[in-house]
Amino acid sequence: MAVETACDGACWAAPSATVVRPGHRHRFARLEREPLGALLECLEGTCDDAYAGSGARGLLARVGHLDGSLADALAQGAYLALAHAVTRKPEEVIEAVQRAGLSGRGGAHFVTAQKWRLAAANAGPRLLVVNAEEGEPGVFKDRHLLEGDPHRLIEGVLLAAHAAGIAHAVIYINGQARNARSAVDLAVEQARDAGLLDGSALGGAGVEIEVRSGAGGYVCGEESVILNSIEGERPVPRTKPPFATDRGLFERPTVINNTETLCVATTIFDDPPPPTKLIPLSGAVPRAGLYEVPVDGVTAWSGVLAAAGANPQRVRALLLGGPSGRFVLPEEFDAPLDMRGLGAGGVVVLPLDADIPRITRALAAYNARESCGECTPCREGTPRLVALLEDAPANRERINALIEVMTEASLCQLGGLAGKPVASALALFPQDFEREASR
Amino acid sequence: MPQPRKHACRSAYNLRMVSPDSERFPYDAAASDAPARLAEAARAIEAHPRERTALLPALLDVQHALGWLPRPAIQRVAAWVRVPVSEVYATATAYSELRLERPDPAMWHVCTGVACDLAGAEDLLLSSPECTVRIDCQFLCALAPVVVDPRERLLGRLTEDTLRARIAMHLEIRA
Repeated sequence: MAVETACDGACWAAPSATVVRPGHRHRFARLEREPLGALLECLEGTCDDAYAGSGARGLLARVGHLDGSLADALAQGAYLALAHAVTRKPEEVIEAVQRAGLSGRGGAHFVTAQKWRLAAANAGPRLLVVNAEEGEPGVFKDRHLLEGDPHRLIEGVLLAAHAAGIAHAVIYINGQARNARSAVDLAVEQARDAGLLDGSALGGAGVEIEVRSGAGGYVCGEESVILNSIEGERPVPRTKPPFATDRGLFERPTVINNTETLCVATTIFDDPPPPTKLIPLSGAVPRAGLYEVPVDGVTAWSGVLAAAGANPQRVRALLLGGPSGRFVLPEEFDAPLDMRGLGAGGVVVLPLDADIPRITRALAAYNARESCGECTPCREGTPRLVALLEDAPANRERINALIEVMTEASLCQLGGLAGKPVASALALFPQDFEREASR
Repeated sequence: MPQPRKHACRSAYNLRMVSPDSERFPYDAAASDAPARLAEAARAIEAHPRERTALLPALLDVQHALGWLPRPAIQRVAAWVRVPVSEVYATATAYSELRLERPDPAMWHVCTGVACDLAGAEDLLLSSPECTVRIDCQFLCALAPVVVDPRERLLGRLTEDTLRARIAMHLEIRA
């Protein structure tokens, strides 16, 4: 039987087919250029078990292995954590989240249990906004989760709703992620029909889920921008305080969680899962795609690169976090990964001949284009930074001063982090900029 | 490999607007079907609640129906959700995917994100300069370089040759 399924993270293999038998999987990659003979032979029963997967399988366990029905998701373990959670008091669920050490996977790594507690402490009705805007260049993890296993997100939403006493949730999906949107729409409908949303199937108070699409703009991934967008206001950040957990969407106490965060929340009762982070990996690697990487105090970039088939000797640096991120030198490749240092997780592998000044200018220009204009440090600072990068060595002091102002005074992290890749590039690759300036 | 004529992309679209995939074509105020298409957009608008929170969903529906946001449709949205037209414009102009001008559907959008740049996006732009424009990250980095075709389909792992061939094929179908 042939099952159409979502990408399991092995983007490098596309188009691919995987033959699945009990205890046995065999992936056939790049079918557009491979003869189909081997695939047909395997279907007849002769092939070895050779599944090149994507590292640890926690969040991605079902991604790429579901046929899109609720029954299949349930058969593969969906909603088990919720069934367990609704038998416990909300505070016990929050404690479990705290013990699991769950932090915001959108990049800020705020302690999730604390966020849920802050909202739960306020009078209801409380709201939940799922940040599935995912607009950071180089990041494509939430799309995989939403397309490949939307019921995991819905389970996470229901679990959060039970824990923080939430009545209404809005899933806000990147406007370009059309496949993700249709997968989530379908899954919400399935869950509603099955009585999972109103609590009649598993218990719990029930939550209404609304799905919305964004319409572009890096800044729309900023949580308060999403609130304005949903309310029909201009998509610009709000000043904080008040924090969303006190006064968020429609002035109600609001929990805003990233897609991946809520998906991780469905694993808190697992025994015991090492915390993992989804790493969308692209650039100069043979096997680009989505990797689920254990952040266990042991795993390092070298392991991630090895999984992707990259030779670290051929890597100049990693660009981690795109236009809000930093460069990682090979010297750091053997240091254990630190969750807080991973941001949203997007990694572009830069080859030895990568033109760092050019990449840096492109990132700065992107931030300048995407600045929403609401606050002066970012509106004026981002294009100024682009101009100063024309001759970075000569403008070094002014660049540093400008970055300091933008970091301190910007209304949101688009401006606050716009200087980060620039500062990182200038600190790590000064010779590249000098060589270019002397030309 | 057949080369597209100079300006072939633009002329193919602008001179021959009637085609089997006309539903993909953006709303044109001068076209004979303009009133009917505006009425279709109005129906989509009026399916939303008359509240400010429906502003972006209504605009997205209009763009889905018409390909962009012409002024009469914007006015209709404003009246329906009871928000001043000026504020609807302020909102609509803030989203990069909302189009306030009729798009040129002939263009092939070449992603210039870092992964695509490393994979040769500039070469793609140079190889078909008349038919390509830049676009920011399309989040398909693992299949770089990525191009969005005139029908908004994402194409991955393109080379100069495969892009030229696709453009030529596209123009042939159009002609």
